[in-house]
Amino acid sequence: MSIPSRLRTANPHLGAYYGIVTSAFVSLILLLAMFEQLGMSQRVLAETMLLAPLAIYLLIAIGSRTLEVEDFFCSGRRVPPIFNGFVLAAITVGGVGVLAYTGTVFFLGFDALAIGLGWVAGMLIGGVLFVPYLRKSGSYTLPTFFGHRFRSRIVRVTASVMLLPPTALLLVAEMKMAALIAVLFLPVTFSLAVVMIAAFIGVTAILGGMRSVTWTGSAEFLVGAIGLAVVVTTVSIVLTNIPAPQLTYGEMFSSLHDAEITAGLTPVQPDGLATALPGPGPTANGKPFLQPFGSMSEVDFATLFLCITLGAAALPSLLMRSGVTGSISDQRRSTAWGLLLVALFVMTAPAIAVFTKLILFKDIATAPASHLPAWLGEFGAQHLIQTGDANGDGAIGARELLIARDGITLVLPAAADLPYVLSALMATAGIAIALAAATSHLFTLGASLAEDLYRVLDRRQTLSRLVAAWAAIAATALAAAVFLVIAEVDPLRAALTAVAFAASTFFSALLLATWWPRCTVQGTLAAMGTGFAVMVVEVAMGGGFAAGQSALTTPVASLAGVGLGLLAGVAASLYWRTSFKAEETYCVEMRNPDGEAIYDRAKQRAAATAAVRPASPAVPAASAS
Amino acid sequence: MTDHPARDRHQLRTLLLAIAILSTVLLAVFLTIGAAAWLNQYGFLHFPLGFYLLAQGLLIFVVVATFWFIRIQDRLDQARAENEELG
Repeated sequence: MSIPSRLRTANPHLGAYYGIVTSAFVSLILLLAMFEQLGMSQRVLAETMLLAPLAIYLLIAIGSRTLEVEDFFCSGRRVPPIFNGFVLAAITVGGVGVLAYTGTVFFLGFDALAIGLGWVAGMLIGGVLFVPYLRKSGSYTLPTFFGHRFRSRIVRVTASVMLLPPTALLLVAEMKMAALIAVLFLPVTFSLAVVMIAAFIGVTAILGGMRSVTWTGSAEFLVGAIGLAVVVTTVSIVLTNIPAPQLTYGEMFSSLHDAEITAGLTPVQPDGLATALPGPGPTANGKPFLQPFGSMSEVDFATLFLCITLGAAALPSLLMRSGVTGSISDQRRSTAWGLLLVALFVMTAPAIAVFTKLILFKDIATAPASHLPAWLGEFGAQHLIQTGDANGDGAIGARELLIARDGITLVLPAAADLPYVLSALMATAGIAIALAAATSHLFTLGASLAEDLYRVLDRRQTLSRLVAAWAAIAATALAAAVFLVIAEVDPLRAALTAVAFAASTFFSALLLATWWPRCTVQGTLAAMGTGFAVMVVEVAMGGGFAAGQSALTTPVASLAGVGLGLLAGVAASLYWRTSFKAEETYCVEMRNPDGEAIYDRAKQRAAATAAVRPASPAVPAASAS
Repeated sequence: MTDHPARDRHQLRTLLLAIAILSTVLLAVFLTIGAAAWLNQYGFLHFPLGFYLLAQGLLIFVVVATFWFIRIQDRLDQARAENEELG
């Protein structure tokens, strides 16, 4: 029996619980910092720093286990806005943001800002155009929303199938990020790390569904935010004496410019977006940080921004969280909190990149090849940084300093001569955010497979809703782990391709379904199908931000998919005027900010009917579920 | 117009508010992208202005615009609820 939203109250002790989690983590940092000074080995320190928080997350997941359907799929609709904001921010940024985006800012400087700006603008567009209406709908997944809106099983199944590429790509990208960090700091192979991570996120998502995703995700976000803030603020104090990295890195631009010139960096010309993005392996930095539009043209910058904006606005993993708060107003607030936290990270990432670049270029690129810092050997063994005096001039120039994109964030504490505990802390922060994002993507995928494919296709409903979801989550985690072990994935390109897929497939369909009462099921299918087909063709032609790019850059293809999808959706809706009164009523009701979620009302009516006629067969929870 | 004036008014205002905030933000971003290289000749807080706007200024603007939007939309929703209550 679902509880009316006015009776739903958040746990009043949440603040105390997460205060305890925060205090425990801060105490762990202080304790390990002291033990390091007392002679604790780096290996034990790193293992303790990385594994102790995992135990906390697991405890939280066990504590938030549930067998209630409403708790499992929408966390009981009682999550306070700030906590939902934590998880939204973790999903948007993810491990890809913490490591790969920061690395991209290191390599591209000014030109990489399109990505971060796109995340923030995308959250705003999603929060204005879609989130309140999905909250009112109350559907557990994005395909379920389409199914309820149009009373159609076909559109529900189709949306579920089309949700697979973007969500699966994001899932493997985040898992790979977490595995890369684990390999660097724990005594495990890559395959073992992938299996451990798949098991961890699988158990977390199975135990409590959206409920455990929310509460472990909140703890993971706090750990990630504390880790990043402590390290970057410490570096800022060391370099500038001011604990505000977002404001102080501007003062270092003149030093950075001098170091870049000394190292032999000269302004470059754009050579296509796909080739502009740095790869995951050690690469030479070839572009001055502040040069605008050096690696991509203004048009590429603008299309990349718009593609990421529309993709973030229509990202299924973010929209799936639209039903977890107590009201529409709370849902809007949670989006705003998430947006604020993402904006804070996006403002901080260039500071990390500038600090790292300045230190590396001053300590290595301008020093004699025979007097390189001692920490360089350790990073060389981990394939994060490679140097060599190739031209034999006795110095390491910018072209001879090869740096791994995803290692930039992790290298910073050691490069700044900070204690090892801060390197381990940075790794813990990265792995925490990657796990939060991966768990959310896994749950989104598993829930959609169970609710929108299995429940629709198996009319006999052999498995209960929870058992089907558990099986789907476990199978998805296993498949993602196997894929990661056998396939080579570049997390940044996978994540950007996923966002392009989400924009092309879902943005136009959601816009029409939410804002146009006369949109029909044929129109939605045409919008989704057109956008999806455009992206499939683009990827098949060698796109997907791959180095061997197609004629169109991936963002342009994605935006073309959005435009063509809109045209196809409108044309099909006008041609097949089969919009029923019930569909239009649903659309109008969805825009009413008062009252219960439509899905919850349907469940209450079904329960009331079943109570009046106990002998009759069980009525489905909602007509389209 | 239908026979639900409060509902129609609310939907129209909601639509206008959405168009206003999204067009303002997107226009600000695209104008900044177009003028970034030119703006870089000016400085702000030790940053080149074009870089600063894309790295921080626009983000602050979007955050402020979002909280402002929530406040206005809540007022619109409240007004609709009151009007429907009064019939």
